[in-house]
Amino acid sequence: MIALGAIVAAGLVTALSVRDAVALDLVFTLLLYAVLGQSWNWISGYAGNISFGHAIFFGCGAYASALMVTHGLSPWLAIPAGAVAAAALAIVTGFPTLALRGHYFSIATIAVAAIVDALVRTQPWLGRATGFELPIASGWAALQFADKGPYIVLALVLFTAVQIATIALERSRLGYYLRALRANHAAAAAVGIDERSWKLLAFAWSAVIASCAGVLYAQYTLFVDPPSTIALGVSIDIALIGVVGGIGTLWGPAVGALVYVVLAKGVALELGGTGKGYDLVIYGAIICVIAALRPHGIVGAIVDGLRRRRGALELGAASATGGAA
Amino acid sequence: MEALTTFAQLLVGGVLTGLVFALVAVGLTLVYGVMDVVNFAHGEFLMLAMYATLGLALLGLGPLLGLPLAVIAMFLFGIIVYRVFVRRLLAGPPEATVFGTFGLLVLMQGLAQAVFSSDFLSVPSPPFAGTIRFAGLAVSQASVVEGCGALILTALLFAFVEYTETGRAMRAVAEDRIAATLMGIDVQRINGLAFGIGAACVGAAGGLLMLSYPVYPTAGVPFALTAFVVVALGGFGSISGALVAALLVGMLEVFGGFYLSPELKLVPVYLAYLVVVLVRPQGLLGRR
Repeated sequence: MIALGAIVAAGLVTALSVRDAVALDLVFTLLLYAVLGQSWNWISGYAGNISFGHAIFFGCGAYASALMVTHGLSPWLAIPAGAVAAAALAIVTGFPTLALRGHYFSIATIAVAAIVDALVRTQPWLGRATGFELPIASGWAALQFADKGPYIVLALVLFTAVQIATIALERSRLGYYLRALRANHAAAAAVGIDERSWKLLAFAWSAVIASCAGVLYAQYTLFVDPPSTIALGVSIDIALIGVVGGIGTLWGPAVGALVYVVLAKGVALELGGTGKGYDLVIYGAIICVIAALRPHGIVGAIVDGLRRRRGALELGAASATGGAA
Repeated sequence: MEALTTFAQLLVGGVLTGLVFALVAVGLTLVYGVMDVVNFAHGEFLMLAMYATLGLALLGLGPLLGLPLAVIAMFLFGIIVYRVFVRRLLAGPPEATVFGTFGLLVLMQGLAQAVFSSDFLSVPSPPFAGTIRFAGLAVSQASVVEGCGALILTALLFAFVEYTETGRAMRAVAEDRIAATLMGIDVQRINGLAFGIGAACVGAAGGLLMLSYPVYPTAGVPFALTAFVVVALGGFGSISGALVAALLVGMLEVFGGFYLSPELKLVPVYLAYLVVVLVRPQGLLGRR
């Protein structure tokens, strides 16, 4: 809570004082990716079902926004519309697979994402491969602004809401059930926890969160097309953010987003941008190393280290095991 | 009459496509059966094998002559990946094998893009370029060779797993890891071997596919996606199930591509996956 307050304060100061467009863009991207990482974390971290198609839920929001605005409707309507579409896709993907072993779900996320991608690229009303350019407007009714300050405020609101929701998740019945299912689904089922319905609930909320981020993204960039919203590359980025910071931890996605933004900018500056595959090499190597050596990510490793140190202190043998993080 | 010819043409196309899918899928299902790991980088193993075949072809070894070399190289590659990487994933939480092999997918695609660029590359003047005409049907020679090769190799793998001592050890590990260890089976060795054989299967598939397909960094993706569906449909771990399912998926894809549109040919395949998983999660021939 203290950390959250500090971030909100820092974010507000940034939004009000900084005028450097590049810096503001970085802050916006950071907050947006932290939200997307947290959305992924709900189903893949807390529930333990790895999603490889998370970009389509982000895309639901972005495309809802694009469709509303190009049809002369209010972009605010895109928030519920995108949420409904995202939740429906989540249920279609999750209902057959969430009661089974983890890989059934992971394959289904790839499959549904591929179907959605193929459909969007062939349907004229979804803009095919060229996508949408949103007409320029201004003001809160149009959810568009000439300068970046209000966008940062909106991203901050979304980030804060999602972090608070995640704190509530950790303390709620749903959160305990998810962790019980993840630790031992047979034992959890034996005490009467219905795996499918609780995980489906978590997955639907996860999709809704990603969709909200999608609406904000579309209103910010005013351009929506498959590669920037629903393609596999976006899903890879979201999973990377979730994995790097630490799956199943409150602050993991924020840390992951920070690492990602630094990495992505570093790659773009040092190696001449994407398209040559260097970014994929680095992201892939990071995921591999974390999976093989520290499967709980950065925050997970710190938590483990602290716990070990605290345990060691209680035993009066701090020097024996502490500080492995 | 014309509709009937079209139907027969699609049927033959579906069978030949399905056989190639089977060869990609059997390696995946073998690895899953033995060690409960779905290798999400399986398609990238295929892509690597295709580049290897291309390299051998440029050295003067045609796709079919290079095939045994590609198989051996991929077998060794699989064992090294198991020893260095997958073994560590198995020690972690169950999600680690899922996102770990996915990381390998991203890494291999990136490396391929960095080294070979995104260009589509093909074997120059491949053999079997002609067309076979029979009773009004036209089939390319390459796809017949690919289909027959896939059928032979799948049969060889099936015989290996069913009738050899090592194959029996693999089935024992698949059945009950702890009991197999107590019977004196070295589970690490069997796991490594299974991973190597899984990679060798795509080594063969890559060699055959280079007869008619180009290679590029994401060339393995469509094959791997169908292979996941095939393996789930046939029952995770079942080689004969994978063969049956691959033929079904081949039909679905060819007929879907013809009657819907080529861009949407995978839609019926994935819908079949969701329906089968919902109705019969153990797959067509799998056990629960």
